[in-house]
Amino acid sequence: MESTCDQGTLTFVADNASTMRPPPGRHQLSKAFIAQHQRARIIAALAEETADKGYRAVIVADIVRRAGIARNTFYENFSSKEACFLAAAEFAATEALRRVVDAASKVDSWPARVDAGISAFLHYVASEPALARTCIVEALSAGPASVERYERSIQAFVPLFRMGRTVSRHGDKLPGTLEETIVGGIFWITYQGIIMGQTAQIEERAPELVEFALTPYLGGEAAKRIASKQD
Amino acid sequence: MVADSADTPVEQGTEYPPELARLPPGRHGLPREFVAHNQRERLIAGLAEAIAENGYAGTTIAHITRHAAVSRRTFYEHFSSKDECFVAAYDTVMAEMRERVGKAFAEEDDWPHAVKAGIAAMLGFLVAEPSLARLCMVEALVAGPVVVERYDSAIQSFVPYFRTGREGRSPDVLARLSATTEEALVGGMMSLISRRIIAGRTAELESLLPDLVEFTLTPYLGSDEAAKVAREG
Repeated sequence: MESTCDQGTLTFVADNASTMRPPPGRHQLSKAFIAQHQRARIIAALAEETADKGYRAVIVADIVRRAGIARNTFYENFSSKEACFLAAAEFAATEALRRVVDAASKVDSWPARVDAGISAFLHYVASEPALARTCIVEALSAGPASVERYERSIQAFVPLFRMGRTVSRHGDKLPGTLEETIVGGIFWITYQGIIMGQTAQIEERAPELVEFALTPYLGGEAAKRIASKQD
Repeated sequence: MVADSADTPVEQGTEYPPELARLPPGRHGLPREFVAHNQRERLIAGLAEAIAENGYAGTTIAHITRHAAVSRRTFYEHFSSKDECFVAAYDTVMAEMRERVGKAFAEEDDWPHAVKAGIAAMLGFLVAEPSLARLCMVEALVAGPVVVERYDSAIQSFVPYFRTGREGRSPDVLARLSATTEEALVGGMMSLISRRIIAGRTAELESLLPDLVEFTLTPYLGSDEAAKVAREG
C-alpha cells in the first residue's frame, strides 16, 4: 500500500541502513537529505534496541552500533537517549495519525471511517513492530515526558470518534469521557497484543476493535454488522 | 485498611512507639493505623511517600528510609533494592484495592449494580489514598518490567467481574461480544483513570463513575439500560 520509497517511512530507512551510508569523500547528496535520513536511521536503531532490550537497558553505545554511525553523529542529532526516544515517539505518533486520517478521509460514512482508521492504525503497528513496541509499550517506562506524549497521542485520536455523536441517536447524552475511554481501550488491546508477541497478527483484531468502538454510538447489532464486513 | 491483616492488628488509640510519632497521619496520605510499627509496612509507606515527593526515578533508598524512620540496614533486611520494595508496595496496595472492590461487588444483588459498586469502591480508594493511587496506576508503569507485568495482571484480574455479565444474556447479545470485549473495557477504564491521575486530577476520579458504569455495562445491557443504572441514585 505505502510506497517503500516514502522518505518518511522507517522501513525504508531500516531496510537500507547499511547502504544508506554515504561514501566517504565528496557527497553528491545534499546535507539536508543526509541529515534527515541520519536522524531517521538513528530513530530506527533506537527502536530496534529498545524492542530487544527494553528502554532502561539501552545505552547510546548500543544505538550508535546499531545505526552504524559515529558517537559524535548521535550527539549532533540528539542530546540524550531520552531526547532520541521522544523524537521516535513524536515521529511514530505523527505518522500514525497521518495514516489514520488519510485512510478515514477516503471513505464517506463515519462508521466506515472508524473501520478504515482502526485498520490503518493496526497495519502500521504490524508493519513497524520495533517502533510499535517502543512507542506503545516502552513509552510508559521512559519517563514523564514520554508518558505525557503518550497521553497526547491518545487525545489526538479522540476527534475521529467524537464525530460519531452526530450520527448516534444518543447524540451528546453519551458519556463525556467516552471517546477517551474507547481510544484507551484500543491502545490497551494493541499493547496486550505486542507484549504477548502477537504483533504480526494484530490486524486480525480490527473487527473486534471496530465493534468495540462503534457499539456505544450505534448499538451492538449495527456495530457487529459493520465490523464484520471486514471479512 | 492494609493493616487489618491478621498478623498486625492495630487499634485506634494504641500507644505508638516514638518513631511513629514522627509520621503524622495525612502527610503521606496513609491512615495512621496503616503505619503500624511493623517495619516492612513502614518501609512500604515510606516508599509511597518518597515516590509521591520525588517520582519513582528520583527516589533513593535514603529517601525511603528517612520517610519510614528506619535505618538503611533495616531496609536491606527486608528488601535488596528499591525495585523490590516497590513490588512489595505495589502488591500490598493492589491486594487492598482488590479486596475492597470484591467486597463491594459481592454486596449487591444484581450484576449491574455490583459493577457500579465495584467501580465506585475502586475510585473511592484511589481518591482517599492519592499517593497510593499514583503508585499503583502511574509510577508502576515506570518501575521496570517486573512491575509492568504485575500492572498487567492486576488489570486482567478485573476482567472476571465483567465476564460475569455474559451470564443469562440472549444469544443476540452474546453474539456481539468478542473474546476481548472485557479486556478492552477494563483497559479503556484503567487508561482513563491513570490519565486523570497523571494529570493531577485524582480528586475528580469519583465524578467519572457514571461515565465508566455506562461505558462498561452498555455491551451487555444496551445503552438505555446502562445509562439508567449509571445515572440513578
